[in-house]
Amino acid sequence: MLRVERLSKEFQNGRGRSKTTVKAVDNLCFQCQPGEIYGLLGPNGAGKTTTLRCLSTLIKPTSGNVFIDQFNVLEHGQIFRSRIGFLTSDMKLDGYFTPDYMMNWFGRLNKMEAGRIEQQKEKLFNDLQMTDFVNKKIDQLSTGMKQKTAVAISLIHDPEVIIFDEPTNGLDIVTSKAVTDFLVSRAESGKIVIISTHNMTIAEKLCHRFGILVDGELKEEGTLNEIIEGSTRDNLEDVFFSYILPGGSHV
Amino acid sequence: MFKDSLIILRKELRRMFTDRRLLFMLVVLPLVMLPLMYSFMGKANKARMVEINSYSSRIAICSGEGGEEVKGWFLESLFTLNAHIETTGINELDSLKQRVIDKDLELLVVMPENMDEHVRDNSVFDLSIFYNSTGDYSMFAFDQVDIAFAAVAEAIIRKRIIESGMPEDVLTAFTINQQLSADETADLAEEGSAMGKLIGVMMPFFIVIYLFANSMKVGLDSVAGEKERGTLAMLLVNQVSRLSIVLGKMISVMVAAIVGAVSSAIGLRIASRYLIGMSRDSGASISDYTMGSMAILQFAIVVVPLAILISSLVLLVSTFARNVKEGQGMIMPVYIAVMVMGVTTMQTGDIPPEWMRLAPIFNSLVVLKDIFMQNAVWGNIVFSLATSLAVASVLVFITLRMFNDERVLFRI
Ligand SMILES: Nc1ncnc2c1ncn2[C@@H]1O[C@H](COP(=O)(O)OP(=O)(O)O)[C@@H](O)[C@H]1O
Ligand SMILES: [Mg+2]
Repeated sequence: MLRVERLSKEFQNGRGRSKTTVKAVDNLCFQCQPGEIYGLLGPNGAGKTTTLRCLSTLIKPTSGNVFIDQFNVLEHGQIFRSRIGFLTSDMKLDGYFTPDYMMNWFGRLNKMEAGRIEQQKEKLFNDLQMTDFVNKKIDQLSTGMKQKTAVAISLIHDPEVIIFDEPTNGLDIVTSKAVTDFLVSRAESGKIVIISTHNMTIAEKLCHRFGILVDGELKEEGTLNEIIEGSTRDNLEDVFFSYILPGGSHV
Repeated sequence: MFKDSLIILRKELRRMFTDRRLLFMLVVLPLVMLPLMYSFMGKANKARMVEINSYSSRIAICSGEGGEEVKGWFLESLFTLNAHIETTGINELDSLKQRVIDKDLELLVVMPENMDEHVRDNSVFDLSIFYNSTGDYSMFAFDQVDIAFAAVAEAIIRKRIIESGMPEDVLTAFTINQQLSADETADLAEEGSAMGKLIGVMMPFFIVIYLFANSMKVGLDSVAGEKERGTLAMLLVNQVSRLSIVLGKMISVMVAAIVGAVSSAIGLRIASRYLIGMSRDSGASISDYTMGSMAILQFAIVVVPLAILISSLVLLVSTFARNVKEGQGMIMPVYIAVMVMGVTTMQTGDIPPEWMRLAPIFNSLVVLKDIFMQNAVWGNIVFSLATSLAVASVLVFITLRMFNDERVLFRI
């Protein structure tokens, strides 16, 4: 189980007199069970990336903590890293190498044995329908193929927790569906999946639980039913907009 | 841990040595740049010399009355020149001057009245030779006429001396280098050291340029580029320690730097043939300059730490910058400073000022010069090695600190 406890992150901008503090994430609490897909929803600048970076040990929370089972991110960074697979938004892999080469390379960095790397490669290449292009240079691949490659690489070590920052951003609907189907299959096999997105349609179909993040604060949290029951709106998108559009009931 | 560095290094090296474009920039360019440049310059120079020598200069001689005999001597002295000579009276002086201005004439020689009488009376007379320094051939013609007329002057003096009854010997006070035996040469430079000097003066400059250029080509992309593309985060969420990442990347940048230094050294060695062809006063002992194994060892002892220093400098900037472009902007001033250092060492004489021996980078360049000129001192070599490594370790330390600082890695 992954648990986020009162997570806050502040950034200091500028220095001296013009120093300002940005509260990117403010007192965030949510949790996610194995088999669940959690959707962190929010407009640009809401704090999604910051939250996911905290979960994946890239940055340190200003306060609060994150747990995977009994391990917490502040003390057990190394264990966290071995258990999570993280995908940055808008990642561009070095185009010079092939997906196959990159998989081997990341596998070795994850201290995997050659046999296990082969096993994982075969599984991921099949599941993501990549077999046709794994030996082409990444430069020569389409945006969709590149994203599939990035997804595969981030999961080479078969992590229990999958953390993807806007994984369908900029993809056509076919690849987008391939990626979301893949995430569903991962969840079904007992992984914890956390994604961020600002695409409500995809989120509504894909995720089991949601957190609506605006200005670093979690405005709503729960399953689709829980969120809609507690509000006057009848779909997720309207609830979302009620928090961010001028004239929305929560603005 | 070092295994991880090795995994990272291997990928970077594979990239470097299999990507043809990169390989061209890192290895081929420094190798062929100088030979191409100098062979081109040499050819152009030669062509120019041929052109000048085949050019027929237009010279006008305008003389006053009463100097027919002496004028004859002057004209005779110009016989061997490839020149077109016209002679006129003094009344045309102004129009002739205008023709020099218009570059219609290379030279105008004005001879005074009564030259014959002056020569007979042992009195001094003055010639004016007008030229145009903006003309292509005017200065060249001036030099030639100057030499030819000096011969006339000597002939006149010789005649006077003989007429005065003095022995002809008084004309020559002494000679220089006329009595060396057949197997003796005046230039006592050691075999190959004339070439060594030439190379020694130029080499440090080009070495430091390519150390830097190659470090930049590989190093800026290595961290700043990965930040920009988002792949650095992928690397950081792996099991790899940050020290391994820094080391792996650092060594790959260093390899690129050293490859550039060695290529440019070989390139300059090849180019020096053309270079020697261009400079007049170097003798024959030049064609066989070779670096002994000791010199090569010394070269390595200086260049490798210098490469470490420069690549760690580039890597530091690369780590601090948000993207490649910002990195380039930050590194440029440093690059220019290093170029200035290179030029400075090129222009200092055989004994550099003390501070140059103390300052990092500078001292390596100065020692490199010593090595090529075959007079390096081990103390200086070791000192430059020590300073390079000391500065480099400080830079690596700072880079590591930055690698552990999210404010640097995820600066926006
Ligand atoms: N490294 C940083 N330094 C300063 N401010 C930051 C940094 N990262 C994010 N922020 C700020 O935090 C807020 C949330 O950003 P982010 O987490 O990227 O939002 P999202 O991913 O939801 O678009 C923004 O106001 C952003 O400017
Ligand atoms: Mg984001």
